Amino acid sequence: MGKTLEQLGEILTRYPTKQAALLPALWLVQEARGWISDRNMAEVAEVLGLTPAYVKGVVTFYTMYHQHPVGKHFVQVCTTSPCNVCGAEAVVKALLDATGAKELGATSPDGKWTVIEVECLGACGFATPVLVDDDFVESVSAEKVPDLVKRYK
Amino acid sequence: MADELVSLTIDGVPVSVPKGTLVIEAAKQVGVLVPHYCYHPGLPVAGVCRMCLVDIEKAPKLQIACATQVAEGMVVRTQSPQAKSGRMGVLELLLINHPLDCPICDQAGECELQDFTFQEGRPATRYSPDYAKRFNPVEDFGPDVLYVPNRCILCTRCVRFMEDVAQEPVLNVSERGDRAFIGIHSDGRLDHPWAGNVVDLCPVGSLLSKDFLHKARAWELDKAASICTGCSQGCNVTLDTRENVVVRVRPRPNLDVNRYFICDHGRMNYRWMNRGDRIEAPLVRRDGELHATDWDEALDVVASRLRGAGGTAVALVSPRVSTEALFFARELFRGHEWSGAFQVVMGEEAPLAGVPNLALRAERAPNGRGAELLGYRRDYASALAAAETAAVVLVLDEPDIAVRTAGKLVYVGTVLPERARDAEVVLPIANVAEEEGTFVNRDGRVQRYFQAKPAPGMTRPAWWVFAELVATLQGGGHVATAADAFDRLAASVDAFRGLSYPQLGFAGPR
Amino acid sequence: MGYPHKPHPKETVVLSKHFGEADARTHKGWVKRGGYESLAQALTMEPARVIDIVKESGLRGRGGAGFPTGLKWSFMPKEKKKPHYLCVNADESEPGTFKDREIMRWTPHALLEGAAIAAHAIQAEVVYIYIRGEFTEPWAVMEKALAEATAAGVFGVIKLYLHRGAGAYICGEETALMNSIEGKRGNPRIKPPFPAAAGVFGMPTTINNVETLAAVPLILKKGAAWYKGLSLSSPKSTGTKLFSVCGHVQQPGNYEVTMGFPLKDLLYDLCGGMPPGRTLKACIPGGSSVPILNREETEGCLLDYEGVVEKGSMLGSGGVIVFDDSTDMVYQIMRLARFYAHESCAQCTQCREGTAWTTKILERILSGQGKTADLDLLLDLADNMTGKTICVLSDSCAAPVVSGIKKFKKEFEDYIAGRRKPVMVA
Repeated sequence: MGKTLEQLGEILTRYPTKQAALLPALWLVQEARGWISDRNMAEVAEVLGLTPAYVKGVVTFYTMYHQHPVGKHFVQVCTTSPCNVCGAEAVVKALLDATGAKELGATSPDGKWTVIEVECLGACGFATPVLVDDDFVESVSAEKVPDLVKRYK
Repeated sequence: MADELVSLTIDGVPVSVPKGTLVIEAAKQVGVLVPHYCYHPGLPVAGVCRMCLVDIEKAPKLQIACATQVAEGMVVRTQSPQAKSGRMGVLELLLINHPLDCPICDQAGECELQDFTFQEGRPATRYSPDYAKRFNPVEDFGPDVLYVPNRCILCTRCVRFMEDVAQEPVLNVSERGDRAFIGIHSDGRLDHPWAGNVVDLCPVGSLLSKDFLHKARAWELDKAASICTGCSQGCNVTLDTRENVVVRVRPRPNLDVNRYFICDHGRMNYRWMNRGDRIEAPLVRRDGELHATDWDEALDVVASRLRGAGGTAVALVSPRVSTEALFFARELFRGHEWSGAFQVVMGEEAPLAGVPNLALRAERAPNGRGAELLGYRRDYASALAAAETAAVVLVLDEPDIAVRTAGKLVYVGTVLPERARDAEVVLPIANVAEEEGTFVNRDGRVQRYFQAKPAPGMTRPAWWVFAELVATLQGGGHVATAADAFDRLAASVDAFRGLSYPQLGFAGPR
Repeated sequence: MGYPHKPHPKETVVLSKHFGEADARTHKGWVKRGGYESLAQALTMEPARVIDIVKESGLRGRGGAGFPTGLKWSFMPKEKKKPHYLCVNADESEPGTFKDREIMRWTPHALLEGAAIAAHAIQAEVVYIYIRGEFTEPWAVMEKALAEATAAGVFGVIKLYLHRGAGAYICGEETALMNSIEGKRGNPRIKPPFPAAAGVFGMPTTINNVETLAAVPLILKKGAAWYKGLSLSSPKSTGTKLFSVCGHVQQPGNYEVTMGFPLKDLLYDLCGGMPPGRTLKACIPGGSSVPILNREETEGCLLDYEGVVEKGSMLGSGGVIVFDDSTDMVYQIMRLARFYAHESCAQCTQCREGTAWTTKILERILSGQGKTADLDLLLDLADNMTGKTICVLSDSCAAPVVSGIKKFKKEFEDYIAGRRKPVMVA
């Protein structure tokens, strides 16, 4: 945690207030430990001169911050209308099967996968886009899912 | 300082207000209450509830009155069909997830959602029972505050109060969309000394006081204007009573003292007003014991003791007693070598950061300044010493003091202390909730308080007790009312010259 | 990697000229292609002169609002008394829109250069480029490009920083974007005050879209007249626009055409038309927040700000979503309503509750339990949600609902009357 927050030093120079480093700080925490706990929120709050409640209000607003542990691979599938009419829901089903996660938001029994539906990922012309951790995979179809899943250990 | 005035029309009524005034405030000045929730004059503007939509000529869309400043020649219509329809829309949407809790909700009867829905809402909802309502369990936020998320309309007054006025942001809005609710961090509690104000600020029954939970229905309450006795700040309060028992203390707005707020110490400091263990009748010593009697005999006994006695008189008084009483208590000893003293319990100061000159004060009594202005001193130790050899010692509503005297002890108070067994006479008086009077706060502000419930048994206001004795011993006519008592005081003491009850009113001196 | 398709002959390739050229993403590669000359020149010019050129060019905001860019820049205080800021809106989250990501991952320097020129014009020394959190690849490309260009010293005293979003469509609204940069919940602000008076950190601020800024270096290099001349509908709509076409077309993707280009040609010609055996049913021309066009309106529509308005919709972000005759319009409108319900920030009552209720009504219709009164109720709700809130997310939810019911009423009625098999569980 301490090393993570050291990286914050440079980031703090970019803004006239400490508070503005909050979103970057939360990303650092999530990158380091996979999710952001209540205690992490309090730690970040202390560094930035904010209250834990304030930080929590921000964390819960932004859907990309995890407030509890997720599978080793976190999968986000867009199902908004442009992708929806191009088979996105079939991709979701295929992913839930292939990963063993079975239910949206749940972690697979082997702890490796969590799959969620998200809103427009900004790649509508390359339906269906799937974000596996930081890998933005385009043009995923239900048929391509098993191979996609195999690529990740 | 002349403010530039702006003239506009609201619902056909012309009004002129200083530049920068919000339309919602300008409307108040012509008696138009624009329905609203998130707006509050003591909080920064949020503009989120959208309830205060009004029609402004030349504006293409409805505007929110709480965030629109007046402009010269502006024509505002609060009752146009579009404005009413817009507001009706907001009310309907606020109610779709709101549970039909009125029968069990503390806010009923003083609920702004009820009020505005009744005034301009739909008669029936179109939200089918097929659709579930949002559900979250009740949360305990801390010492006195419960949060009922299902009733919350997300006006964010509580969040803004804690962030901006208390300057301790322990409440947040959590989540997004219709999943949003007021949140608190697991480490946090709503234990700020001024946190209880969020309960008053909440327009609905979402934030509730545990102390008041299910104690009374709003329409059962009688209200009286009073002054908080918790410290020397002199916050204006309203005492709510139900069947002559004080059940709740709430702030009364006063822009010069406490704005819209009171601290939790004052808020919770009312149970003693309902104490049952009161001295119910005057007591006089006869055959070595105190016997109950009537006022005539009791006052006669005191008068005769004083008439006979020369020498020194020492008065040990409580700084929670009215200025009128303190005045007449001093007058009583004209002709004696007199010294008067008081002592004040001290505590930790707790300011409300966002409001200038407002704090729970270290001095935990409402009338120390009043006592000082009337010549009472803080040197309690020497007063106690002087009392030992004094001819007469008056103890005024201080049940815990240990005074020894060779002279006559007269105890005037609300509850009977052990030591009073040594007294010649014990006279029962009303407490702050049971009489009219004034306190002087730490800034020298004279403020009136009003009677909230009847005085029990044979108790009388302290000012009356002393004024009667003064009339008997010194002449000058009886004093009939507290107002008259104050007039006598004002005529006599420079610091109060020119003041009177009508002049002081509910808000204190101008 | 993406899809750098070869430009169609009918495209007017300006912004997308170097899409697909990996080398263009390096500083050296960009300089080789003529990059950073405009910036160097702009830095020697008076800020007011730069603003005049952009005003003259007729460039309008490409994020969705279409506000004249030069005019927006001119709102900034002429006399600099406080720090000025430029915020770049790279939050691209409008369903149907995917052009800014292409600009960032193929021509990051075009954006950086345009942003720096804009910063100079508005006298800002700090630029925040707000990139949505999900754009991991554009972020990586931009990060590298920014480091190289900064090292090369092209920006002078201007500092550019990337700021990562974390999953909120609403942060594409300019005041919410500023709040997000400040480390707050992405709540839109009430206006006034306007950003040019009090924006990020309370300082004068301008917010511009990625595509808007990417055009600026070329406008400076080739002149305002050149930019105007590119369009078929000058002077009202000038230059070119990247249209993101998606949904039911053979070749979805970004197509750069001149303003005033016929939508019909874009769909049937450039995009290869409908899937085999399918016909066009509906088209949303400007990202999901604008009214839906039926087939006739689509085929008669010219793609510029005024032309789309004439057909009853808006150019918006230029995200063209195409639905063929296999589409369940009721389902897609429900899915759009659900999108808005997920993204509502929760401030305004109409949006917070209305988007969710709208979604529930549509879900119930799809489950076969809908009532006839539901349609009037949806329209009344949409009316309550329009023009009464801090921002237009609420209005955006209403748009597909109103236009959908108006133009595809039978599909709704079929579900309600039980003529169509339910597709959802109640």
